[in-house]
Amino acid sequence: MNAPPLFNLAETVVKWVDVGIFVLNKNFEVQLWNNFMAHHSGRLAEEVVGKSLFEAFPDLPKPWFTKKVNSVFLLNNFAFISWEHRPYLFRFAHNRPITGGADHMYQNCMLLPLKAEHGKAEAVCVVVFDATDTAIAQNLLKEALETISEISNRDGLTGIYNRRYLENRLSSEFDRARRYGGTFSMILFDLDHFKKVNDTYGHLAGDKVLVEITRRVKEKLRSSDVIGRYGGEEFVLILPQTPLDGAHQFGERLRQMIAAEPVIFNDISIPVTISMGATEYRADMPGYAALTHQSDVALYVSKGAGRNRMTCYAPELEAADAKP
Amino acid sequence: MNPSMLTTDQRDALQELTNIAMGQAGASLATLLDEFVDLSVPRIRIVEVADLPAALAELVGKNNLVSAARQSFYGHLRGEAIVIFGEPGCQALADLMGFEGDLGEQGETELLLDVANVLCGACLGGMMEQIRNFTDTGGPAELSFSMPSLMARQVTAGQLIDSKRVQWSHALLLEVNFTIKNRDFIAHLTMLMPEEGIDKIRAIVDEFLEAF
Amino acid sequence: MSLPILVVDDSAMARKMLIKSLPPEWDVEISQAGNGKEAMEAYRAGKAAVMFLDLTMPEMDGFQVLEALRQEDLNSMVIVVSADIQPVAQERAMAMGAIAFVKKPVSPDMLNSVLKQYGVI
Repeated sequence: MNAPPLFNLAETVVKWVDVGIFVLNKNFEVQLWNNFMAHHSGRLAEEVVGKSLFEAFPDLPKPWFTKKVNSVFLLNNFAFISWEHRPYLFRFAHNRPITGGADHMYQNCMLLPLKAEHGKAEAVCVVVFDATDTAIAQNLLKEALETISEISNRDGLTGIYNRRYLENRLSSEFDRARRYGGTFSMILFDLDHFKKVNDTYGHLAGDKVLVEITRRVKEKLRSSDVIGRYGGEEFVLILPQTPLDGAHQFGERLRQMIAAEPVIFNDISIPVTISMGATEYRADMPGYAALTHQSDVALYVSKGAGRNRMTCYAPELEAADAKP
Repeated sequence: MNPSMLTTDQRDALQELTNIAMGQAGASLATLLDEFVDLSVPRIRIVEVADLPAALAELVGKNNLVSAARQSFYGHLRGEAIVIFGEPGCQALADLMGFEGDLGEQGETELLLDVANVLCGACLGGMMEQIRNFTDTGGPAELSFSMPSLMARQVTAGQLIDSKRVQWSHALLLEVNFTIKNRDFIAHLTMLMPEEGIDKIRAIVDEFLEAF
Repeated sequence: MSLPILVVDDSAMARKMLIKSLPPEWDVEISQAGNGKEAMEAYRAGKAAVMFLDLTMPEMDGFQVLEALRQEDLNSMVIVVSADIQPVAQERAMAMGAIAFVKKPVSPDMLNSVLKQYGVI
């Protein structure tokens, strides 16, 4: 015959296992509270068991957690809580105060219905997992990926978006407008006679002009507007929620502002003007490439007409074949 | 036996098994959302993994944008459940669940995962209950579930699974869908099981067939 | 004379389960239908004094059958047998003329008590 056990196995495991375990009845009174919960919360089982969870922990997100637990009772089905949506249920310190870079424990939780004989949940067991290591690793990875994608989307000289990003953004703005309605405009602009600036004052001067013009334009943008360098001395503006006449006024202001003040490089004053072409999204466009084409047509009209001006696209411009 | 084969009887029995299980999932969803949920007739296919993206696209509609959540189950049966939500329904869901105002992306994702979890749990739970009641194949018919996670938002169904990364050669695809009239809400519950799971299901179904 | 009863379900397995769950002493002549259309044909041929009707079926579902029966004076006692266990589905079926609602999976006990309750046996 086996000797009687020295201790209750299951009870001891639940008490010492390195995950949080507690049980709630339908009134949200704590029925069980293991050591993980006690040690992290600083509240011993004796203090908590029999009490309402929300009275013992007034900082818990009560309405939301109540809803979650009640759905387990109602549907007789388990439920989960992920740190990715809610970093934690209980605000516990975590075990990596030195190396963690986080000021609290990230938690995953699992809610299990504890069913009585008749099959209906009478209590809910909540299991709390420390997900801090995973969360830290994932956050680092996410930051790294964001940095990579940020770098690959930026123009090295000016720091604004590059052509790759602009193409993607135009495509997604186009899809958005097509699906949800609304409009947006695109402006393409060129620095006039930029080659001459490089030839006359050197490439450093040319770079300074590009950076300075970028800075001036950026100052005038709304937060939702997008500026990018399409290549060489060619720039693109994407103006969400902006019809063509709005883009026209805005572009005209930019043009005048730039022409009004030369760029200073090593005490040399370099006059700069820009030529612009604009168009707006229309529901009958076959694809976003139509926008680039139309603003390009308009830009060439501006150039053909003597530069330092703004042209809005119209179908007649195509027929005139204004390209020089 | 060729893994791609199910006899007519096996298919029929599995369909009924699924039908009963999804009835429970539908009832859970109805309770959760407090709306009447229309249930579809279950569809069952064994597909080669290479054809999986196309098969999903066919079930859900090729050009429709969807969001999807996945959850693993293991124990008596092993596989992955994928719940695919039609895009307009994602917006209706917050409304249906009684959340007011803008939930934000995190809140919306949490909601999708909750609903996916309820559907998977109820449907597979219902299946296990029948297996317990009518068969005695291979040990206690119980399942554990992993935490659900988001697969994708706003993609076409064909983009959900990269078949090159699936380790199986064949998969059993069970699909049921839940719709709510006037709400533009549709959720497809698909359960995917690898070859070994197909053998097990076949054994269960045979036992089921013998019982009647 | 045996009572003509009709078992309507798209699943052969479900029909078999139901037929096996009928009281053995009940003197009936059993016909089967795999969808709503077949069910209506059998009904018109007088084979359905009692009809066991599934709700989720392709072609013509159980609700559509109930609707069609209502338009043809409902000369049959319809017992809905369904996996759709939402209370609303039950209420809707009863409102459309079903006399009882039985949840799947059916068991002999459950069926027996329903049949007794409505005086069918």
